[in-house]
Amino acid sequence: MARQSNFMVALGVLSALGLVASTFWDAPQINNWLFRASTLIMLATSWNLMANAGLVSLGHSAFWGVGSYAAIMSANAWSGSILGTLVVALLAGALMGLIVAAVTGGLKGIFFAISTLALSEGLRISALMLPDVTSGAVGLFLRQDLRPSQQTLYLVAALAAVASVGVAILISCSKLQFASRAMRDNEAAAQMLGIAPRRQRMIIVAISGAMASAAGAINAWYGGYLDPEVAFTLHNTILAQIAPILGGIHTLAGPVIGSFAIIALSEGTRIWFGNMEGVSQMTFGLVLVVCILFLPRGIEGVMHRRKKQQATAGTPAPALATGRGGKS
Amino acid sequence: MKLDYRSYILACLAAAALSASSAVAQDTIKIGVPMELSGRFVAYGASGKRGAELAAEVYGGKVAGKKIELLHRDIQSESQATISVFNELVNKEKVNYIIGPIASPTVAAAIPAWRQTKPLWIVPGSSSTKLEEEAGSEPEFFHAFPYAYHYHQSVAAALKSQLPTGQKVSLVFSDDNYGRTHQPYAKKYLTEAGFEIVAEEIVRTNAPDMNPLLTKIARSKPNILLGLVQTTDAVTLTKQIYTRKLPVPYLVGTAATQLDEWQKAVGPAQEGWIGVTTYLPGLKRPGNRDYPKLFPPSDEWEAAFIKKYGQEPDFEDAGCYVSAMLLFLAIEKAGGDDKAKVVAELQKLDVKNTLLGDAKFGPTPGGTKNQAFSDVVVFQRQSEKNVMLFPPGPTVGKIKSAVQ
Amino acid sequence: MHYIPQLIVDALLLGGIYTLMVIGLALSFGVTRVINFAHGEAVMLGAYGAYTIALVSGIDPLLALPLLMVIGCLFGMALFKVAIEPVLKAPHVNQILLTFGIGLVLQNVAVMIWKADERSVVTPYAYSSFQFGEVFVPGGRLIGFGVAVVLVGALFFWLRHTEFGRATRALDEQRDAAVLVGINVKRMYALAFGLSVALGVATGVILSFIGAISPFMGFHILVKGFAIIVLGGLGSIVGAVLGAFLLAFAETAVSYYVPNGTGWAEAVAFAVLFLVLVLRPRGIVGQAVAD
Repeated sequence: MARQSNFMVALGVLSALGLVASTFWDAPQINNWLFRASTLIMLATSWNLMANAGLVSLGHSAFWGVGSYAAIMSANAWSGSILGTLVVALLAGALMGLIVAAVTGGLKGIFFAISTLALSEGLRISALMLPDVTSGAVGLFLRQDLRPSQQTLYLVAALAAVASVGVAILISCSKLQFASRAMRDNEAAAQMLGIAPRRQRMIIVAISGAMASAAGAINAWYGGYLDPEVAFTLHNTILAQIAPILGGIHTLAGPVIGSFAIIALSEGTRIWFGNMEGVSQMTFGLVLVVCILFLPRGIEGVMHRRKKQQATAGTPAPALATGRGGKS
Repeated sequence: MKLDYRSYILACLAAAALSASSAVAQDTIKIGVPMELSGRFVAYGASGKRGAELAAEVYGGKVAGKKIELLHRDIQSESQATISVFNELVNKEKVNYIIGPIASPTVAAAIPAWRQTKPLWIVPGSSSTKLEEEAGSEPEFFHAFPYAYHYHQSVAAALKSQLPTGQKVSLVFSDDNYGRTHQPYAKKYLTEAGFEIVAEEIVRTNAPDMNPLLTKIARSKPNILLGLVQTTDAVTLTKQIYTRKLPVPYLVGTAATQLDEWQKAVGPAQEGWIGVTTYLPGLKRPGNRDYPKLFPPSDEWEAAFIKKYGQEPDFEDAGCYVSAMLLFLAIEKAGGDDKAKVVAELQKLDVKNTLLGDAKFGPTPGGTKNQAFSDVVVFQRQSEKNVMLFPPGPTVGKIKSAVQ
Repeated sequence: MHYIPQLIVDALLLGGIYTLMVIGLALSFGVTRVINFAHGEAVMLGAYGAYTIALVSGIDPLLALPLLMVIGCLFGMALFKVAIEPVLKAPHVNQILLTFGIGLVLQNVAVMIWKADERSVVTPYAYSSFQFGEVFVPGGRLIGFGVAVVLVGALFFWLRHTEFGRATRALDEQRDAAVLVGINVKRMYALAFGLSVALGVATGVILSFIGAISPFMGFHILVKGFAIIVLGGLGSIVGAVLGAFLLAFAETAVSYYVPNGTGWAEAVAFAVLFLVLVLRPRGIVGQAVAD
């Protein structure tokens, strides 16, 4: 992980302050966009954490969905406040993360990815087939009297987004960072070094799960309505991956940059191509393909490369790495 | 470099700010029309858009001296998109009137967003009783479509009028908003009408193989099969029933039989299927005498529609046409863009003989304050034509068995 | 208990369709080691291809099948060269997300061309059926089963008895030795990938007259396909066939015997997937998981 320059740090802090401050400004369209960006930042950062440890999650919507249901169900049942139910969602997400990590043991790569996919779909079907618990397909509404003001929702989302990035920064400065890196590159070597991959994996997946669940919870409060399709939609899984990839996978700023870019892209296609179906989804697909093929380090990578070019004027820029000792 | 990054963000914010201020033209009346213009329910949404457009055209493009501005939006048959669109219409465009969406899950997703400013909301769709629970008691909410219980009261009455008593019914319902909402009411009213429910099977949406459940149903030897499924599932169910020559004489489909796309997709398998809908070409309904241009006899309206669009209208074309017309009339009577007055006028309206029947909003036993058009027609596909079965009247035919 | 004969027939026919569905996935992974997350879209495009040909020229899907398979193969090979070859040595993340992205693009291209409503091809044999006592056999599915048998048989024959096929097997088993012996690895990869797409297209053609098709059918098929491949063992074609029938039997049994079974049948695939990954990741016949 490249050390952030002072500039980047300053920019980061400014952005965070700006995001939080924006919630006090009454511009509904911008507030809506920044809200979506906030929850996406949480989701993307969470996905990125797992990716850092070599775990590709194709079922991040599972955590999002669990968080959504945990929040709404606990709110309706115990007249919970947004913060109270947020805690419930965090716990639910962390618990599920622990279970997933424990159950999948040492599975890596493709197998882990497929098992997360299975988890997400399995949960969706279970939510549908158990209407007594989840209200099933008919849907679940947040109790009207519990609904906080729009501003509260925006503020909570902004703070949560900042907190998520903060958590990611903390992890990157801690011992977990090395464990992740090691797990990503070579688990056997990691084990020999005395790092206990299983335990580290559980911690990472639990934190990541909690973060994604919190994002789902906040979003559920905002939307006020939930059904299994909404909660476990594949769309969230796609977004969770595209944002970090576009912004720059394995970096701190990547998920953030990517989230803003994705929201801009999504709204752009909706405004300009709103009449043509499928355009925005197709754009996402193209973004994924183009990034993987040509920009494996995302926007962040492009910026870094140009910086390096500036700094080392005259020497040729290093070739973009397309792999880091990938096994195949 | 630094400039590039920062200017990117500034550019985004600037764009956002620009779009945040919407140029409010004072001499138009804005009506939000969020519809499922893509995705699973595109058949409904495309019709809805057409109906509203046609209504604006026929009305003359202006109401109470101001131009009618229909803000069409695609909610992509997705809940998230619905929430975004409603937020935009309600917060940014600040519309006072909304017509749509149509499908049950999208309407449900819209409710919390609608509540923010509660514009006058006409919903020409969604039979979900959850909708009634959540929004029915609000004075600004107008439901212009039957609820599930209305459907099944009519289905039960229709079958009772055409068939001898003691018939056995099997139910197939999909595990989604539609199936789950309708199943209890189907059961209730059919049982009350003297039918015996001998089998009930749930099916996953997009299930590729319904043969096992059809085998189970065949064993219980029902006379009637009621399919509470939509879109793809309706096609799969119909085809598989036809393929195995299921020995059930009467097949009822509440969501798809009237749709062109279903009929094309299943071909000869449609013969004998019974459908339920609010409107069908060929009903021969009379027109309204006070507003002959807005509400002509249904034959005339259909002919004009076919001439303009090259195809027959379906129930949402008619439904949204009527809803939009009623809204225009209410705005005219209220004298202008005053939401509270328009709401009052719409509540008072009493227009007979629109395409969907008499238009009068009134309360339902389930708690909706403003409900209109709770009647449905029951028909059967015979030799690729619609034969009316219910309500009783001069145009009604005789039910035929689907089994040769 | 009186369901058993019908259950067996239903499960066998379903298994045939599932086999067709996964055989392509198994082939491409076995040879190129890339899991093709766009396989579902290959099936979907095959279905729409058959539908369009039938609509425009009235040609029966079965007659159009060979042509569509050839188109699919060529398309797959081109796609491989352009998009997938560059990431053969890249980390798994990249490969997974790349094919995922390709699938997303294809899905939405289909949405744009054909809209999102449901369609189906109507053919006389699709509605035919045979009755043996109490047991009923749908004609359309029987044909699907037949096509599956023919294609799987052809694939096995090809792998065993032709030059190309043997080279493919060599790649599968002993990659480096194959290169040394002079086999053109890149070309083989492209061919294997192309064939896998062709097989996916064949599945789609069959599905076009058996049921309803929509642009979103691909994802569903993909997830099922994974369950089967993992069950049978990644990289093993025999395993894929076994897995297909096993899953078909499990689902059909659940449909018949569990209350609300048809509702839970879809979840069987995921339960199986999860269990296999946890208990025996290599699957029934597969290679060891060390990757």
